Amino acid sequence: MRMRRVQLAGSVVLATVSVVAFGDESIVNSKHDLSVRGPGPIRAIGEDEVCIFCHTPHNAAPQTPLWNRENPRTHYRIYDSSTTDARIDQPSGPSKMCLSCHDGSMALGSLLSLSVTEPMVMTARTIPPGSADLTGDLSDDHPIGFHYDRALSNSDRQVRPPEVVSRDMPMGPHGEVHCTTCHDPHNNALGDFLRVSDQMSAICVTCHDLDGWYRASHTTSRKRTTGRAVDARERLKYGTVRDNGCMVCHKIHSAPEAERLLRHTAEEDNCLNCHSGAVASFNIAADIRKRSGHDPRWRTGVHDAAETPFTMRRHVECVDCHNPHAAQANRVGVVRGTLGQTVKGPNLHVSGVTISGRETERADYLYEICLKCHGDSALRPRLGTSRQVSQTNVRFEFQTSNPSFHPVAGPRRNSEVPSLLSPLNAGSVITCTDCHNSDNARSAGGSGANGPHGSLNDGLLVRNLDTADFTSESADSYALCYGCHDRQSILNDESFSRHRRHIVDIRTPCVVCHDPHGVYRGQGNATNHSHLLNFDLAVVTPADTSTGRRVEYVDTGRFSGTCTMTCHGFPHVNFPYANATAAGASRSRSRGVSR
Amino acid sequence: MTRTRVTSVAVVLVLAILGGWAWGDVKGSKHDFSNAEWAGGDGCSACHGPQRSEPPEAAPLWDAKADLNRVFGSPLNGTRRAGEGTSVCLRCHDGTIAKDSVSDQTKERFANRQHSGVFAGGHQRSDHPVGVEYPQFDKGYRPITSVVATGTVTLPENRVECSSCHDPHDMSGEEHMLVTSNGRSALCLVCHKK
Repeated sequence: MRMRRVQLAGSVVLATVSVVAFGDESIVNSKHDLSVRGPGPIRAIGEDEVCIFCHTPHNAAPQTPLWNRENPRTHYRIYDSSTTDARIDQPSGPSKMCLSCHDGSMALGSLLSLSVTEPMVMTARTIPPGSADLTGDLSDDHPIGFHYDRALSNSDRQVRPPEVVSRDMPMGPHGEVHCTTCHDPHNNALGDFLRVSDQMSAICVTCHDLDGWYRASHTTSRKRTTGRAVDARERLKYGTVRDNGCMVCHKIHSAPEAERLLRHTAEEDNCLNCHSGAVASFNIAADIRKRSGHDPRWRTGVHDAAETPFTMRRHVECVDCHNPHAAQANRVGVVRGTLGQTVKGPNLHVSGVTISGRETERADYLYEICLKCHGDSALRPRLGTSRQVSQTNVRFEFQTSNPSFHPVAGPRRNSEVPSLLSPLNAGSVITCTDCHNSDNARSAGGSGANGPHGSLNDGLLVRNLDTADFTSESADSYALCYGCHDRQSILNDESFSRHRRHIVDIRTPCVVCHDPHGVYRGQGNATNHSHLLNFDLAVVTPADTSTGRRVEYVDTGRFSGTCTMTCHGFPHVNFPYANATAAGASRSRSRGVSR
Repeated sequence: MTRTRVTSVAVVLVLAILGGWAWGDVKGSKHDFSNAEWAGGDGCSACHGPQRSEPPEAAPLWDAKADLNRVFGSPLNGTRRAGEGTSVCLRCHDGTIAKDSVSDQTKERFANRQHSGVFAGGHQRSDHPVGVEYPQFDKGYRPITSVVATGTVTLPENRVECSSCHDPHDMSGEEHMLVTSNGRSALCLVCHKK
């Protein structure tokens, strides 16, 4: 009895010892155990030893870990990217040892300790095509063979200095990154022979220090990514966005889009796969398909993270406005005139162009992102209307030194706008997205995502704006303008004393007289172009005067001016208007005009 | 005097017993030199010989010509000094030293063969390090106590020598005169925590 107990205890101890000795942390019984008793489909037919496939105690190759294999080819296609600061070389040292099997070209059973004519007999001659076969093309794999030194971390702020990279991620003798920096071929406890867990991309952020990453939605989101919701071709390792981390968009090996190791070749697919209602809250994929939108499907392969907005070919991709490494959810419901103008969560850490035309790595204001394409960029689209003064550079139109402009880049401080709806006032600043936004944006009372993704209205306008001549006035026909400018105030002629006459009676749309963005100071002046006056020459034609045929507005003071033009067949020559009382501004707004 | 004699008798007895025991296994193995003229014809003198023993600490009565202080290149950085359990092996398996210890013919055979397990040219770059201290504080290795506890792998003076893995008398009868079977690479994994 006692003997038995001792035996039992002994066997328990033995079992424990053997588990410790050959548990998950051992190469034995891992996928790299290629012996006849190995667990994987690739193994030897007769060999019982485990180490022999890579190491031999005697007569090894003259490489440190007693290497038992010939070196593979000397030339691989290597990774390149327009944004990398590293000088990437051909793989060397331990990386080539891995590649002696994993490039799929060399026979697995060809060992130095065996005669050339009698190689080890294996179930597969070479590594079969699949995730373990990196092929001779390493351009779609995470780069190796570059020196991870201070020079690199100094030039690229988004990688950590090499000395703070954990000791768990060893570099080569000269600080070069090898396969073995991330992988420990002897230890598969974490899966994929990783040295650090890839849960929440811990292994990636050991080196990569991305601006804004730790507070980004992609880092913190617990949205489910079960099954093939993210990528139809692959079942992701973990169940939530945050656990999969980088892997939601990137593939470290054999990435379909080699540069920047993305899952999808078409840039937007990397985003829309989740942002189509499948994983993320809002269906952006539906928004971009609307008749007027920033449709990223327009161009593929044009966007480049290293591009400069002044010379790039025209395109639009999600990442032109959003930084997936930093974007956060927009928790602020934007309604009619945002009062803080700095960029919000979804647009954090995105490059832009300032109102003075300087490129900035990080836009402070939302309009700076818009100006990348709608400012000085090349090949801007033509205007739909022909006005007295034409300007396609939106950056010029919004200069705060202009005779008139909508207050996007700064406040206007114009006391002649009695129509403004609270909380807007003469000192308010608005954003591009107050007018240009998805028609179902939450900021417009809808249920969709904020932002100019796509709209059923022309011009990517958040609300309807009729621009055709002879439009019957209604709350809906000029809904865009009435969003900020009280319809009742306009129709009561509180500023321009002939508003009602023109809009309601003669059925002239707002945009015939007003140029909504602004009039550039280099083209217009405060006398002729105050109050955003810049006539649409398709409707407004010159009038015969003693000084020739002219189209002209002249500001003659507060709420007063004169017009010279022919409109709807009616000639105005120095036609004056005035709202001398100026008390119009204080008239009750509760008079019965329904909005 | 008496004590010395008793000690001598005891040593001779132990040697005789051990020798007989070892001889039983060496016989017929690759280390059976009983028919080699150069080896004295007795099967033991190739390596052991009381009449030739000079260093008093050489317990197994090594042939004195084995260079106990031999220094050689190593796959690890720097050079290593062979201990007893190595130098006596290198006497033959190096092919460059102790030229008068073996016949020229045998020496050349070792020196020129590609796959005979020799430390060709005195360089050890392509061979497992010997004459090195066991890296007991390296997390890639198991503690000395667990290595020694196997009873098969020995670490004389906490160093790795040829004799750590190989038994020149081939007691176990394993391939390559290993001290124990290397099935499932068990011998490698005695030390290596992989």
